[in-house]
Amino acid sequence: MNAVSQIDFDEAKSEIRAIAAKSGVLVSGVAAAEAFDAAPEGRRPEDILPRASSVFVIGGAQPRAGDWQSPNYQHMEVTTTSDRIQTIALKVARTIEDQFGYYAVCVPPGVDRGQQPFMSIAMAADLAGCGSRSLAGPVLHPEFGFMYYGAIITTMPLPADGPLATPACPAAECLAMYDAEGTTPCLATCPADDGGCLNGHIEGGRFTDRAFDSARCTTRVQNYWVPGFQKVLQAALQEPDAEKQKMILFSSMFSRTLWSMTYSNVSQGQCSECMRVCPVGREHRTRQ
Amino acid sequence: MDGLKADSRTQQIKAFALSAGADVVGVADPLAWNEHVPEGHRPADILPNVRSIIVAGSRGPTGGAWRSPNHRIMEMNGYDFRNDAAIHRVADLIEQQHDHQAIQAPGLPTGGHLPPFSMMLAAVLAGLGTRSLAANIVLNPKYGLLYYSACLTTLELEYDDMLEEGVCPHHMCVESFRRFGKTPCLAACPSEEGGCLDGSIDDQGRIESSYYDRERCVSRAMNFGINSFQKALAQIVEEQDEERQSTMIHSDFFSRSCSAITHYKESVAQCFECMRVCPIGRSERKLK
Repeated sequence: MNAVSQIDFDEAKSEIRAIAAKSGVLVSGVAAAEAFDAAPEGRRPEDILPRASSVFVIGGAQPRAGDWQSPNYQHMEVTTTSDRIQTIALKVARTIEDQFGYYAVCVPPGVDRGQQPFMSIAMAADLAGCGSRSLAGPVLHPEFGFMYYGAIITTMPLPADGPLATPACPAAECLAMYDAEGTTPCLATCPADDGGCLNGHIEGGRFTDRAFDSARCTTRVQNYWVPGFQKVLQAALQEPDAEKQKMILFSSMFSRTLWSMTYSNVSQGQCSECMRVCPVGREHRTRQ
Repeated sequence: MDGLKADSRTQQIKAFALSAGADVVGVADPLAWNEHVPEGHRPADILPNVRSIIVAGSRGPTGGAWRSPNHRIMEMNGYDFRNDAAIHRVADLIEQQHDHQAIQAPGLPTGGHLPPFSMMLAAVLAGLGTRSLAANIVLNPKYGLLYYSACLTTLELEYDDMLEEGVCPHHMCVESFRRFGKTPCLAACPSEEGGCLDGSIDDQGRIESSYYDRERCVSRAMNFGINSFQKALAQIVEEQDEERQSTMIHSDFFSRSCSAITHYKESVAQCFECMRVCPIGRSERKLK
């Protein structure tokens, strides 16, 4: 373990980034723990780790170009999860503790009480400059677009990167489309005023008045996960006809729900349409 | 065959296990099981002609996770399966480079509630730790609480001796017991006050008796997992009022129980209090 006085934190940061990159991470950055003042109390780095100084953010493990090309959209339902990035996050946390002697804890990817995240990993990615919020919701990296993120809170005083100077969204193509049609690819593919989940405007090259119907999105994105299970369970239990009840319990829908719960231990979605049409990172979703 | 002697082959495999993520590694004689467990639960019942048991242990929560004032962080972040990953790599190495059979020992119950193979016993027989007053958890002298996995192989290796001295009780706990009649773990969860633990220490400073109320511990340590899911489901099925039933299905508690099954990999336990106060391995968890 290095002594405090011997640590060059810039060098240490580069070393941690290199380890993360070698493990498969595409982007990484650091946010200052004190920068999370927009998060509600109880959901800030200090609430998870006393004396938290930095939040090291990693991103990657997004669907591959081939995944995006598959004509079987159900393929992505069962292959895109944040699993890999979380595994690397744990490795990074161990590296910080074992190699540099500072406390480190991974932000769990699941939810805490009231279905609220322990700390917003999206906010961490934004504050660490690993991407920026988009009209469609996910944090987008300027080069790679949509990806999964993991966050490690540490007492190690790593130099912060800060948010991106120019947000990844809206992209130039979307600005042109908005000027011409009053919408963007993501808003057009899932418009809130036409039964979809998204709405928003662009002013001066930046998006404003973003609206996201998260309840509606959940019913579409998580058809076969915990919410799907709860829905079918209720329907089955409240079905008075024993034959019909049996049919519900052995149905393809319920079977798939149970499979998806078993396999998707961290995060799973069944709708990626707003990301499919997003121009940010498109070149990384395109191969021969 | 690899042409190596058993001792140098053993050293090579141990070094490989450590490089694959294990924090400790030991080797046990499969015949040693005979005097401790009934037929059906011995290594040869799982792999015929087994000659060595390699046991790998890894730390669970990071030092940062132990420090978190939000105890729910450890619910989700207590475990990263590095010991499993290391054992899989060791088994691959033995089959591919040493041309002998090697399998991962099953860690979960396959019938009834008892596992076919005790990892705790494996850790003790491989000299990695000894049982403690705290819920019989096997404590390693350096790290304290570890998670263990084992590889059963037909390859001949050099066995480690079991530890001669019990890791528990720590000398501080002996002093504490002599003065107050309690050790830190027994005081954290006393059975006579609704807790799970009881025990005593003899004049030589060794465990004289120990008591562990496993059922009570399960009801506290596994609030959100298979157990809570089963408990809640029984109540949901029995509920006659459809409105109340619906509320129970969509409640925060049931959602978290479903989530914990989905996230089972991370959510292994929700109570670490007897281990939190244990002095063994504390120095390893004390960082900057």
